[in-house]
Amino acid sequence: MAKEYLVVLFPRNRRVMVNGEFMGTTNRKLELESGRYEVTLGPPMNFTPDAQDVDLRNTSSLMPMIVEFEVAA
Amino acid sequence: MMKKYSLRMVILPSVFLLFTGCAHYIVNEQSQNFDAQSGYRFESLDPGANNSDSLFVCLMLSGGGTRAAALSYGIMEALRDTVIRVDGREKRLLDEVDCISSVSGGSFTAAYYGLFRERLFEDFRARFLERDVQGALAARVFNPVNWVRLASPYFSRIDMAAEFYDRDIFQGATFERLQRNGRPFVILNATNLGADRRFDFTQEYFDALGSRLDLYQVSRAVAASSAFPYLLTPISLKNYPVGEGYTAPWWYKNAMNPKNWITERYNAAKNLSAYLDKENRYIHLMDGGLSDNIGARSVLDAFDRGFIRTRINRGTVNQLVFIVVNARTQSEDRLSRQEKPPGFFTVAEKSATVAMDNYSYESVTDLREALYARVQTQKDEQACVELLSKYCPRAPKPIPFASDIDPYVIEINFEAASQIPGEDPRYYLDLPTSFKLSKEQVIKTVAIGRKLLHAAPQFQCMLKVLAAEAEGEPRPEACPVGAGIFP
Repeated sequence: MAKEYLVVLFPRNRRVMVNGEFMGTTNRKLELESGRYEVTLGPPMNFTPDAQDVDLRNTSSLMPMIVEFEVAA
Repeated sequence: MMKKYSLRMVILPSVFLLFTGCAHYIVNEQSQNFDAQSGYRFESLDPGANNSDSLFVCLMLSGGGTRAAALSYGIMEALRDTVIRVDGREKRLLDEVDCISSVSGGSFTAAYYGLFRERLFEDFRARFLERDVQGALAARVFNPVNWVRLASPYFSRIDMAAEFYDRDIFQGATFERLQRNGRPFVILNATNLGADRRFDFTQEYFDALGSRLDLYQVSRAVAASSAFPYLLTPISLKNYPVGEGYTAPWWYKNAMNPKNWITERYNAAKNLSAYLDKENRYIHLMDGGLSDNIGARSVLDAFDRGFIRTRINRGTVNQLVFIVVNARTQSEDRLSRQEKPPGFFTVAEKSATVAMDNYSYESVTDLREALYARVQTQKDEQACVELLSKYCPRAPKPIPFASDIDPYVIEINFEAASQIPGEDPRYYLDLPTSFKLSKEQVIKTVAIGRKLLHAAPQFQCMLKVLAAEAEGEPRPEACPVGAGIFP
């Protein structure tokens, strides 16, 4: 029931995949249950790193967990 | 003479064994392959031409025998007759219903609508509501021809009930038809007696069972959902190895961390793991009311980590509407007016119903509070942005949600009949829980459903907000965001 907040930053608008599920888009706040997740982006695969593991807890809507991806060189 | 007697001794038991040995409940079929994109899951259902995600509507239809089925039917009629305008198109509110979660008596209405759609309004009254279903079931049980079948350890009263539902109500339909019909996604809830937990007849559960839901009779799912303890017996399912290529739902990965055992995600994962544990070779299901008599828990799951959560995070939902159809009754409190302590049967009845009623109340309260928490977060953020703009305009603003949601929880229950002129709530609160009501009781229960829906202030707010949006007018002042939960 209690929610945690996650924002995935990327210079472009891209799908955010959480444990492989399309869960929203980059640069927008997502609401999820607490716990561990694997976060990555949808195609094209021009981002780095490939995926990030996060342990989502102790966030608030004004202080969400920030996960950043960069455009691959 | 002796020879004749011996012959009888051999033939009669053989015939008896032959018949009883033949009687076996219908076994769910094994699935060889897993396909995450197909099957009876929300994501694979066609939304339909008149259904938008921006107005997302879920119904919860409670248990309560024919009384619950009739109240649910009255609500379905009222939704059919309510015309709204969404995305520039005029449509019936019923066409915007995305999911129906049901228990016991409510499952008859939910499954019938899911399978036969408009026919619900043509023949459901005659086929189920106005029929003595209880008498028909009893006639089968007391028919000596069936005693031989009932002597089998693998065939029981519930299988006989399911046969009757299959032939006389659901006409042999399987979940393949529900899937073919598209939305709404009908979630028929039962209770797993082994795991003491809720069980849904959805692809997610059948994937874990390694079984094909598309071939399974809807009548058996409804029978499980409404298998009232003691009167009826459990419906059993076989638990097979999972299909080739099986992957658990996205939220399951990493959810079983013992460190998080107090979380609901852990609890949901533990529930699914009961089916992934192949030592549990059989699943025995009874009335969904034993674990949730409202059907709210599967909707809460969808809100926390299912198809509702993904849509909120993707920003496709604007109005999120939950209509709770609660056919709960409550007899007058005479116990508190007498000196003598209640007897055995009263205590037994209270033991069975008090916990269930309180849990149902808490489930709806949880739903309201979860949605109100989201509304408060949205309001906090709006206030924060306004203050920053006024006092610190160069400071970065909070990162927004994909879209704000405007939630509604519309609860229909008989107690609210006191607000309707000319109606006496006691009439409805004293109705029996059985599969037999008089024609007058059915007519009145169906009619009160419509009146209760239209009298609900949350429902009125939703209609006003939709009408204002359709006309391009500002939101009505009397209905701020959040008034759909606590008016």
